[in-house]
Amino acid sequence: MANRLPEEFSDLEGYADWAEPTEAARMARRIGATMAELTDYYSTVLPRMEAIAAYLDQWDLPDLPDTAKRLLYIGMMYMEVAVAVELFKDPDVPESSPVEKLTVLTEHGERALLG
Amino acid sequence: MNAPKHAFAAMYPELGTGPVSTESAVSKEFFELEREKIFRHQWFSLLKRDSDIPNPGDYFVREIEIVGVSVLVIRGDDNKIRAFHNSCTHRGNRLVHDDMGCTVGMQCDFHGWTFNRQGELAYVTDEEQFYDLDKSELGMPTIHLDIWRGFLFVNFDETPDQTLETAMGDFNQDLSPFAFDDLECIGRYRYEVDANWKTTMNAFQEGYHVALVHKRSAPDAFTGDDNPYCHLPKVKLQDNGNQSLAVPAAPEHKLSPTEELAFKFGSTFTQGVGNTEACPGTWQGEAENWGFDLNIIFPFSRINVGAGWCYVDAFWPVAQDQTVYELAYYFPKPVKPSQMISQEFSKVVLRDLSREDLATNEMTHAALMAGSINKIQLSDQEIAVRHLYKTVTARVAD
Ligand code: FES
Ligand SMILES: [Fe+2]
Repeated sequence: MANRLPEEFSDLEGYADWAEPTEAARMARRIGATMAELTDYYSTVLPRMEAIAAYLDQWDLPDLPDTAKRLLYIGMMYMEVAVAVELFKDPDVPESSPVEKLTVLTEHGERALLG
Repeated sequence: MNAPKHAFAAMYPELGTGPVSTESAVSKEFFELEREKIFRHQWFSLLKRDSDIPNPGDYFVREIEIVGVSVLVIRGDDNKIRAFHNSCTHRGNRLVHDDMGCTVGMQCDFHGWTFNRQGELAYVTDEEQFYDLDKSELGMPTIHLDIWRGFLFVNFDETPDQTLETAMGDFNQDLSPFAFDDLECIGRYRYEVDANWKTTMNAFQEGYHVALVHKRSAPDAFTGDDNPYCHLPKVKLQDNGNQSLAVPAAPEHKLSPTEELAFKFGSTFTQGVGNTEACPGTWQGEAENWGFDLNIIFPFSRINVGAGWCYVDAFWPVAQDQTVYELAYYFPKPVKPSQMISQEFSKVVLRDLSREDLATNEMTHAALMAGSINKIQLSDQEIAVRHLYKTVTARVAD
């Protein structure tokens, strides 16, 4: 199968499905995952975050090619996952308003990338 | 920081210090009075900026449940932003069904009447069948719209009692030096809450809850050895109901590996701490260990400002026992991908933190409805809650 992420990040290829393009989808994936899956993602991607940022910053946001866009979503998914791992120690937010009550709307930056 | 005991009650002795009745949160009749006396006359913050619809034809639609109106806000070919009832002047059908977008005009899907971006009736299908139709009189029904520091407000009064500038006039601090124009909306959220709007909003008007409610999302960002109960360094309460509360930040806040990355790639919502230059338009220059300011526009919306970022929110009353909480974050417009990744950190933490804030409201509301308690006890740190009840009750009695 063809690489979905830039070649330099073939070590993350197993996570290509996690490259969700919207915050709503990233949040749903995080909440639907197990803590073991989240911890795995966290410890695999954390040491690669600086390289991810350096690679992506070759472009301004509007000029990102598609494979790089997927890498951007891997980086944004990292933030979603890290908050669960570092702060909540749980995929969801304990003692909070249930997620079914929340609608995450799509804003400009996200829309612009979706094209 | 150890505030002198009862400092705020001393500043606002007219608010008293006794228990406050829950009547105004549980009574359906009181809610109807709020609707007639307050909501119908207020300027509503739409939680949007003029820059959210930068080009002619850009629009958004918002349901304002409390007055039952669907509002269309659109930028015209003349660059002017206008607000309309989202209704066709033929027989009243809804015109626009999307939440937002860009359009050349509005065509009704019932019989095809067409309105231009200025809301004027441009075309009537099979016009000859009508009798003496004056198209110039049949533009979309207008709603008063005005702009304050770039934020869009509407008013449903035929003739608003006061201009927006007056309503905001002695609003807390003068926010004009704040660099709102550098910011862009990076996230927007809506929650349905089965609770009275005041009960819901009260959870956002004090720092007393922070140590418990936010023990996971913010274990040390706003509370520390110095200030374990998140005492507010500044409070300003206005006769018009507006409020300004400074929320402290804890200087000993430790960055997690991820927050450290977020700082490296951009900036975060905790960046006020330790800044040497105060952010203009905020209380940063005057409050020790400042985190951000809550600026509450009476009755139920806010423009909250941090160091180089802001968030706006509203506790939209829907019914006596139903509220929609909406919030939107504005951060510096990201240019580089790494900035967007950095902002995702603040966005996710603040989003999840807001879910914590909403954890207690429905159960609290249910207990008040059951009459389990009929008055609430408020400390000096909760003076803004007291002030809200006082102002609402006075306005309804007017
Ligand atoms: S109701 Fe709009 S064209 Fe008839
Ligand atoms: Fe809170």
